[in-house]
Amino acid sequence: MEIVSARNLTFTYAGSRRPAIEGVNFSVRQGEFVVLTGPSGCGKTTLARCLNALIPSFYQGELSGSLSVLNKDISNSSTSELSRKVGFVFQNPENQLFSLSVERDVAFGPENLGLPREETKRRVDWAMRLTGIDGLREAAPYELSGGQQQRAAIASVLAMRPEIMVLDEPTSFLDPLSASQILEAIANLRQEIGITIVLIEHRLDLASKYANRILIMDKGRIILEGPPSEVYSEEVRLMGKPLLLNTSTACSNRRKVKLLLMVYLRRRLR
Amino acid sequence: MLSIRMFEGFKFKQRKTPIHRLDPRPKFMIALTIFALSLIFANVMVFLLLFLAQLPLVCISRSVRRWLGSIKGGAILAAMIFVMNFLTGSTLVFSATMTLRFLVLVSAFSLFFMTTSPDDLGLALEKARVPYTLSFTFTMAVRLVPTIALEAQTIIDAQRSRGLEMERGNLIQRIRNYIPILIPLIVSAIRRSTELAEALESRAFGVTKDRESLVELRMKLSDYATVIIALAVLAIGIYVQLLITLPSLDTGIKMPALWKF
Ligand SMILES: Nc1ncnc2c1ncn2[C@@H]1O[C@H](COP(=O)(O)OP(=O)(O)OP(=O)(O)O)[C@@H](O)[C@H]1O
Ligand SMILES: [Mg+2]
Repeated sequence: MEIVSARNLTFTYAGSRRPAIEGVNFSVRQGEFVVLTGPSGCGKTTLARCLNALIPSFYQGELSGSLSVLNKDISNSSTSELSRKVGFVFQNPENQLFSLSVERDVAFGPENLGLPREETKRRVDWAMRLTGIDGLREAAPYELSGGQQQRAAIASVLAMRPEIMVLDEPTSFLDPLSASQILEAIANLRQEIGITIVLIEHRLDLASKYANRILIMDKGRIILEGPPSEVYSEEVRLMGKPLLLNTSTACSNRRKVKLLLMVYLRRRLR
Repeated sequence: MLSIRMFEGFKFKQRKTPIHRLDPRPKFMIALTIFALSLIFANVMVFLLLFLAQLPLVCISRSVRRWLGSIKGGAILAAMIFVMNFLTGSTLVFSATMTLRFLVLVSAFSLFFMTTSPDDLGLALEKARVPYTLSFTFTMAVRLVPTIALEAQTIIDAQRSRGLEMERGNLIQRIRNYIPILIPLIVSAIRRSTELAEALESRAFGVTKDRESLVELRMKLSDYATVIIALAVLAIGIYVQLLITLPSLDTGIKMPALWKF
């Protein structure tokens, strides 16, 4: 079942001349693990912001095309309402934790939803257990390691029981070991509760083994899309076999091959 | 940058002590009582007593070092208060009294903030029927002060290592020296506030008015006892001030009025 579907989605930030994303078409099925990647500035974060309606409700600009998330059109839903269904984990753990103890932070979302205290408690216990930070209830976020902070951030989102979780480079502030542990924790979540995951990640080498599908963006467009094995396979690189499902893009074939090479080499070098 | 380090003495740190466990409301009563007493009295002995009476509390809360830090931070201002009073013709003892009054207040509020979690403070404000958005803003601000102070310190260190000399030149030059510190600080504060706002939106902030917080403040026996003690001390203070004349210890020593014509 498709729970996210974008048709010709285009967004230009107010005050900027070029659209940050342009003519984006894609869909996500329930329970899928999708990895979104591409060079810096290509519009990954912008696309993610659309998924929980930060665009257009929080960021001003011009939106065209359509995006529906769980049968809701983003152009008439608000982020805080959508947050029951779509969880969002940000890059910088420091600016998404609000309380001075992990436990209270995880409780923040359910509290805002107006849940009764008992239910909040249950969800806090559940989310902290699933993310493996059960022992850190009383800890203050600034006493935690980056990896633990990011787990706390994930638990905080999880406690709202979203159906989709969007994570925008959750590992970019972490060392390689914590990064791979976080990605594994995310993959386990999907195994255990069947949550749909959209992960923006530069470290494809780590993320691709969990992904069902990889989307590669460039200059605001999705230029490549397919299961990791296809996106990666050497044969594809050598023969230029058409896995380019998105034929509507204006991106030259040479650039596609270059990007593919880049992705491939990055994987090889690590 | 003593002024930035001084915030350390007002920063909450989680410890398991009886003082930390006290409800914020009675704890604030203690600070307010001390505040009220230092307003109604002007006797150096009283201030000495108020100051010394806080020492056991500081020890129990295991925050001696940070408390000393905030006293040290306040010391410069205290010295200024002393000198200004003395130079403008107050007696030695009166100047000392004013200085002690200041230190007593610094100590009392430092003790309060060191041992009260901003989260609990927020809950207390909610109990006092302050609207949630307001109390949340307040706790967030309290929470961010040390973070931003730390960031300022980092920026200062970075700019120093690039050759910025803060203590150079005349007054105008010195004020100018702050520009390379302030600009990155403001930029990062704006960025931080956008990110915080985004994250708040994404966590359903403001979706419902009747939120039920995970932790509920509840007055325990020890909290009631604290309130009673604080009120008793205040009552005694008022009684003494109104009905008993404390011996004035003022020896009348003044700055010789040489330079006054
Ligand atoms: N708030 C904003 N206002 C104006 N323009 C923006 C804003 N955020 C991003 N942009 C612009 O939109 C384009 C896409 O940015 P975006 O942050 O989506 O890229 P990204 O793929 O997430 O990059 P990175 O990997 O560096 O995070 C960039 O050209 C950027 O300058
Ligand atoms: Mg980004």
